[in-house]
Amino acid sequence: MGFFIQLLTDPVGFYNAHELLVAQCGVNALLAISIWLTLYAGQLALATAGFMAVGAYTSVLLAIHQHTSLVAGTVSGCALAAVIAALIGLPVLRLRGVFLAIATIGFGEALRFGVILNWPLTGEGQGLTNLGANPTGGILPVWISVAALAYLGWRITRTRLGQAWAAIREDELAAAASAIDVRAHKLVAFVLSAVIAAYAGALDAHLNFFVDPTEYGFDRTVQVLVFAVLGGIGSVAGPIVGAVALTALPEAARWASDYRDVLYGAILMVVVVFRPQGLIARRRQTRRPDGLWPRLRSRLGLAATRAQ
Amino acid sequence: MASPLLELSELRQYFGGVHALDGVSLSIETGQVFGLIGPNGAGKTTLVNVLTGHARGGSGLVRIAGTDVAGKPPHLVASAGVARTFQGVRLYHELSAIANIIAGMHRQRMHDIGRELFAPLGRVRRARTARHAQALGLLELVGLPDEVADRPAATLAYGQQRRVEIARALALQPRLLILDEPTAGMNPLEKREIGRLLSRLSEGGLTILLIEHDMPLVMSVCSRVAVLDFGRKIADGEPQAVARDQKVLDAYLGTETSCGSASEDDTTQAEGATSSTAAAITTGARPATSQTRPGRGLRASDLHVHYGAVHAVRSVSLAVDEGEIVTLIGANGAGKSTLLATLSGVLRPSSGAATFDGLDLTRAKPARIVAHGIAHVPEGRQILGRLTVRENLELGGYTRGGSRRLAADITRLEERFPILAERRSMPAMTLSGGEQQVLAIARALIARPRLLLLDEPSLGLAPILAESVFGLIAELHRSGLTILLVEQNAHRALSLAQRGYVVETGRIAFSGSAVELQANPEVERAYLGSDPRL
Repeated sequence: MGFFIQLLTDPVGFYNAHELLVAQCGVNALLAISIWLTLYAGQLALATAGFMAVGAYTSVLLAIHQHTSLVAGTVSGCALAAVIAALIGLPVLRLRGVFLAIATIGFGEALRFGVILNWPLTGEGQGLTNLGANPTGGILPVWISVAALAYLGWRITRTRLGQAWAAIREDELAAAASAIDVRAHKLVAFVLSAVIAAYAGALDAHLNFFVDPTEYGFDRTVQVLVFAVLGGIGSVAGPIVGAVALTALPEAARWASDYRDVLYGAILMVVVVFRPQGLIARRRQTRRPDGLWPRLRSRLGLAATRAQ
Repeated sequence: MASPLLELSELRQYFGGVHALDGVSLSIETGQVFGLIGPNGAGKTTLVNVLTGHARGGSGLVRIAGTDVAGKPPHLVASAGVARTFQGVRLYHELSAIANIIAGMHRQRMHDIGRELFAPLGRVRRARTARHAQALGLLELVGLPDEVADRPAATLAYGQQRRVEIARALALQPRLLILDEPTAGMNPLEKREIGRLLSRLSEGGLTILLIEHDMPLVMSVCSRVAVLDFGRKIADGEPQAVARDQKVLDAYLGTETSCGSASEDDTTQAEGATSSTAAAITTGARPATSQTRPGRGLRASDLHVHYGAVHAVRSVSLAVDEGEIVTLIGANGAGKSTLLATLSGVLRPSSGAATFDGLDLTRAKPARIVAHGIAHVPEGRQILGRLTVRENLELGGYTRGGSRRLAADITRLEERFPILAERRSMPAMTLSGGEQQVLAIARALIARPRLLLLDEPSLGLAPILAESVFGLIAELHRSGLTILLVEQNAHRALSLAQRGYVVETGRIAFSGSAVELQANPEVERAYLGSDPRL
């Protein structure tokens, strides 16, 4: 309770006491925007943590070995993520639904177990110590980025590109019949999503003195997915609200922090059953599928492809 | 003569040993309305899929205005100016009707994402308003009121969805429009409106390839017609000449029911040979009589059903006595399908009562209702595409158990509809649209229901097959099965049924015996249009 009272009555004191939490909310909001982008285009791509690691490791390694600036390191991390996303996206995006999810999980885990935990340069299981970190100086850039991406995310849903994504999400065959290049549009969404994840990873790495390989596992991706589904994927506001609410929750209710993943799972189930469109969305008039799994499936774009 | 707008040469496509297309050539001139007809499974939709790039692995030449597009992916064929609709209607379900149409404008919109993202909001809003107005114009063109613009596509009635899909195709600003059975599931009045729409589009210079089973429509709007049968072209020419062609009559139109109009006395031809089949399937131990037993059967009173914000069914009361055959007719969107779905427990009414032989249909789960003897054949087939034909039939008997009699029933149905035997071990989705309809009906009969809810059984069927299905319905009725039939072919439905209800915007507008309804000029005017033969 004290958490909310302080937030409302003494915002400055609250901010000073919870600077790291505010920054973490921002990073998670960026990650949620990243996964929202692919969900909006109808793809359940679960490589968010992997691309986050690409951004984090690239920027920190460049800072340690080449003494590059934060900006140069971040840009390099994003560029590398874009290249990797384009390379794996070309074959992988032929897959749909649950198969795409499995392939992208595979990529994330291969990156973590195959490269990060095995390569001396990345510190293997030890992680990297980033002496140049600035735990509080990053808050402003993080939240300016969230605001900028939220604005662009809102604008992009009204462009030709964004409306083509929505069409692809609903029905790929019909979209193709409207002259929409389905593969190219999916690839653009996937690459942009990877770049945003890498960007969030690079910023996150400069808020912490230590780059911890356990931070980039599959469970991190699932957390981010829960942010987006809780908030709703109909607009970019949903994932941001979801990320902030769920990141702050364990702080607001201390008892919850020990059971964070259990709590996330429970929240996901409640949302999918009672508010499948997410917190931030108008109620739809379409009939909801019955049952937990069918609803989850339709939320995540896993619905079985209709025969023609 | 200028080169044709569309030229197909030696088109071939094989699906697992089936020659879906076996060397078809045809050419369509600019401005033509070209009709493509043929029995179910003849390869009409496959031809369209090969032409638009939606089916891969075909061979042959596809030229659009002289440019070869064979083997190109669908978006490039669409970019060349070919728009299409789908036989099964593929709208973006969660998007509104208007958003569906706007998504179809992809080709004509500004390509510069940077300028779109950073343009001043005022300019963006003006561009949106302009697109919105254009989309509303298309909605009006296809004959839909503005009120449906903001409704999610999934909540629209089937016939309305078809029109939205046509509007979306027109949003591409095509040079060639391909329509795959645009009037399937529409009543005669709506069919006539579609006919007028096609004529108007054609007068505007649009070239149209029309796949259609409604022969009067084909005859009235097409300037040239080709006929497919078993993946081969068996005729191609002037509509009148094609309609007289003996091969076409044999393969497609049938001799008596030429042009698919509803003659009232043709039930007999399909029946004689196979009436024993239906009797054997439906009744089990019950004697085969068509005697009605009032007091038992389906009862519904004061039913209200809401679909989100839409009040789809308003205070409907109806009764179907045991052994009776009753039809529900009415325009698209009147609430007929919603009513059937409510009676089978798929939808829940907001108030009202419905019972069948003592079972409360408003509370019982769908599975319980099926076990109690109600089988529902939904509109649009809903077969299980990845399972084989045989597996689909076996699932129809899920509530019965007892494999030997089940197998015997399947054998009888396979005799009645040989296609079910021929394609026994193929995935059901490889069946053509009409064949899937047959499978859906057969699957419902396997459950040995006492009450059959049939939603548009003739939708998408070629005239001969449609007659065969109507013949089967008559047989099933005579063998004692109680039937509630929803059908767009109202004259045909009323000639089969004993009684009927006319549904108008969720209410029952008229009810009475089939003879009364057929004679009632109000019914004609409200629903059928003045000339039922169109």
